[in-house]
Amino acid sequence: MGNPEVRPSLPVVGGTGTAGAVAKQPDGSRVFLTTKLEKLLDAARKNSLWPLPFGTACCAIEFMSFMMSHYDISRFGAEVVRFSPRQSDLLIVAGTVTDKMAPVMVRIYEQMAEPKYVISMGVCACTGGFYRAYHVVQGIDEFIPVDVYVPGCPPTPEALLQGVVKLQEMISNGETRYQRALAAKRASQAQAGG
Amino acid sequence: MITRDVVVCEAKPLRLVQRLYLVEIAKGLAVTLRHFIANLFARKYTVTIEWPEVKREYSERLRGRHILLTREDGSPRCVACYMCEEACPAECIHIEAEDVASSPTVEFEKRPKVFTIDLLRCVYCGFCVDACPKEAIVMSRVHEMAFASREEGVVGLDQLLQRGPFEKLDLGYRPYYGTPRSRIELPIPVKPRAGIQKGR
Amino acid sequence: MANREERLAAIRRAFPEGSGVVELAGGDMQTLRVDRQALPALARHLKDDPALDFKLLLDVCGVDYPGREERFEVVYHLTSLEHGHRVRLKVPVRENDPVVPSVYGVWRAADWFEREAFDMFGIRFEGHPNLKRILCHPAFQGHPLRKDYDPGQRWLLREGEQEEPAWAKEAQEDEDHFETQVLNLGPSHPATHGTLRTVVRLNGEVITKAETEIGYLHRCFEKMAETHTWNQVIPYTDRLNYCSAMMNGVGYALAVEKMLGVEAPPRAQVIRLILSELSRVMDHIVDVGANLNDVGAMTPFLYMYQGREELYSVLEACCGSRLTMSYVRIGGLSSDTPPDFEDSVRYLLKRIPKLIGDMETLITENRIFRGRTEGVGAISAEDAVDWGWTGPCLRATGVAYDVRKAHPYLGYETYDFKVPVAHAGDTYARYLVRVEEMKQSLRIVEQALERLQPGPIITDNHNVALPPKEDVYTEMESLIWHFKLIMEGMKVPVGESYGYTEAANGELGYYIVSDGGGHPYRIKVRPPCFAIFQAFPHILEGHMVADTVAIMSSLNIIAGELDR
Repeated sequence: MGNPEVRPSLPVVGGTGTAGAVAKQPDGSRVFLTTKLEKLLDAARKNSLWPLPFGTACCAIEFMSFMMSHYDISRFGAEVVRFSPRQSDLLIVAGTVTDKMAPVMVRIYEQMAEPKYVISMGVCACTGGFYRAYHVVQGIDEFIPVDVYVPGCPPTPEALLQGVVKLQEMISNGETRYQRALAAKRASQAQAGG
Repeated sequence: MITRDVVVCEAKPLRLVQRLYLVEIAKGLAVTLRHFIANLFARKYTVTIEWPEVKREYSERLRGRHILLTREDGSPRCVACYMCEEACPAECIHIEAEDVASSPTVEFEKRPKVFTIDLLRCVYCGFCVDACPKEAIVMSRVHEMAFASREEGVVGLDQLLQRGPFEKLDLGYRPYYGTPRSRIELPIPVKPRAGIQKGR
Repeated sequence: MANREERLAAIRRAFPEGSGVVELAGGDMQTLRVDRQALPALARHLKDDPALDFKLLLDVCGVDYPGREERFEVVYHLTSLEHGHRVRLKVPVRENDPVVPSVYGVWRAADWFEREAFDMFGIRFEGHPNLKRILCHPAFQGHPLRKDYDPGQRWLLREGEQEEPAWAKEAQEDEDHFETQVLNLGPSHPATHGTLRTVVRLNGEVITKAETEIGYLHRCFEKMAETHTWNQVIPYTDRLNYCSAMMNGVGYALAVEKMLGVEAPPRAQVIRLILSELSRVMDHIVDVGANLNDVGAMTPFLYMYQGREELYSVLEACCGSRLTMSYVRIGGLSSDTPPDFEDSVRYLLKRIPKLIGDMETLITENRIFRGRTEGVGAISAEDAVDWGWTGPCLRATGVAYDVRKAHPYLGYETYDFKVPVAHAGDTYARYLVRVEEMKQSLRIVEQALERLQPGPIITDNHNVALPPKEDVYTEMESLIWHFKLIMEGMKVPVGESYGYTEAANGELGYYIVSDGGGHPYRIKVRPPCFAIFQAFPHILEGHMVADTVAIMSSLNIIAGELDR
């Protein structure tokens, strides 16, 4: 089950080599146009995250607070909550994941289209919290890669907002799992291509 | 036992006006319009907190990230008695003690060589604060945290030790003395005001 | 109300001495030791004899005593709604033959409780229609609550190993009935509010069969409680019904205090009551709001949630956390309320009725809402009692049973409030009952504020409560008490007790067994949702698939409490 190994599953922008005729960048990896295009896309992705709330427990109640009028995540462009993995790109795992639930979570994660990001909300999702027990997953990163860990039991809505802001920063700095995997793939391609 | 002290709330049959529905629509719209207009023109009714410019002022009992208080000479007050480690339901505290080299000025025998808290295990219940016999561990109001990896969440002595004078610390849950500095403000303040620093 | 002797006499009429029914002396309630052969007839007698009238089966659980010759004990808790008395039955069984006759035929409420005892202890219930694991996943091996099971031993479930109801497979393969369709609602579904799974078989849009699967949030509360000290259990109780965390802690503390024979000081009791009632309001806000949200009315939820955020402000100022409070300690509370507590509660008493009023204008007489909910998910009073329902869902069927009135605790008998009831038993009735209950709760809070007198907030019994911090810093004796309490935990006298309070969803029971050590020997939670949700698939049959959503959210199923 759950393969923590990173694997970008969809064709990536610029990866097809249509613009390959243009001169290479100094680092030998990317063409200029697509790099800029990607920056633009990253900006778009960062400001329009579509979360899928995988709410299982107490954290889901704080997730409600996070959506409701006092905190209002729409100010950060992430209010379009979709329960279909096909339509969303940010998986917020809010709450304890048990061994019974883990295959469900992995399936949902795999159904999401790249680029996808994961926020692990609350200590139960991050490490299992104080449930060191026979039926509780000790951290969802046993099964799926996680971009941002938000501690708290449950985290305050501010903490989750902080998590979303941090994820946005990571997207613009190219630090998310998806972007790192992409960079690694390109580097190896560039190496193979000479 | 079944009680007789009841209030019966039965569904009332719909009156004609309600069945016609138009009046009800108008009534409903009046409620939403009232909220809308109040939000639009009288901003004091707005409830959205303009985070991060405005931070909601939580009380001084908020259980956030821990602080290890220090003595006047800058050494940790902790005497490595393992009480917090024992009281922690999540077993997220790890202490290794070492003997303090004997000196006439030192009144405690042990000090922590290693003191780590796994912030991603901690459930912020405050039991460590209750357990500490030396008021060495208290909690701050720092609750906005996000980490990029699990290792980042494990913090040691260097990150936990108190920085700056006690009065300036953003103190949260701790053994409680005197009247608190913060008040419960209702409705919750949403606009930047004098006195609340930007991005505290 | 017949007293204990009269009830025993009524039992003895059918079960004379030597027929396998023995009354055990002492205890917090009448306790009978029953041979398993005598159980079915006794159960029938207890239910049908008008002097006994034990119509409501509250709880069935197992306890493991590895040292005893008869290793397992199955414990039943019963109550009579008419007379208010309670009884506990204990059926001992041996490890090599752990079989007990099922009482499902007498009380349908036994359905899931017996399955749980099977899952946790491996006790088999003969005659149970569907005895299989309920909380643990199908790949799980062993029985986790047995004392010799290692708490950390996990078993991985792989994709494709999940349980499917047999009829679901048949319906998919049966080509003659091409209109029949099997649909999975959950475990991750916008309307399940947590992790519940319902498999329904549809004929067109009508549900012809349904089965629910739970356990997706089984966090091993009971095993964790056995490995922690009595006080350390409190943070775990907060996460049972996380919509109203305070009430779980209060229920637990009351149950343990009963065993210890200590009582919280008056001020602590009043604060517990105020915060419990505010928590009830909070819980109903989420439930009513979610119910409306699911049938398509988002706006009232937005308004109501404003009140909830302000309630959080008050709760957080008391204890330091918005949701999972850890405020209660055995013997009192962790700290006193802040000085402006009363003013802010008074503000809420004015503010929340306005928000409820807004919601009622939008919803209560709304034709669409009534069309979606009236007659939907109706259940009769007899069925509801048979399934073990309590709380607002039971009161919506017309049975005015409320623990606060029937067995008052925290001084509820001295407050003037009424118990809301409706008779239709449908989703709309549950909505009305909850809305009225919020108003009644606010009335209680208003009265309680008047009684708030200064005073200590935790007992000064140092066998139970930590000494004040100032003393710990300065006095050797206090430091020793402090050290002993933290390192060893408090010692609760050997015995057992069933403590019950009226939580937001109904009767929340804690069956606690102590062996005199620093850790609980066994804690069984009787979650109100558990009994309510087991009737859910049976209510669904004959409804449209869209009604599933409305019914489920009106039952207020909280997965944390359901699966523990």
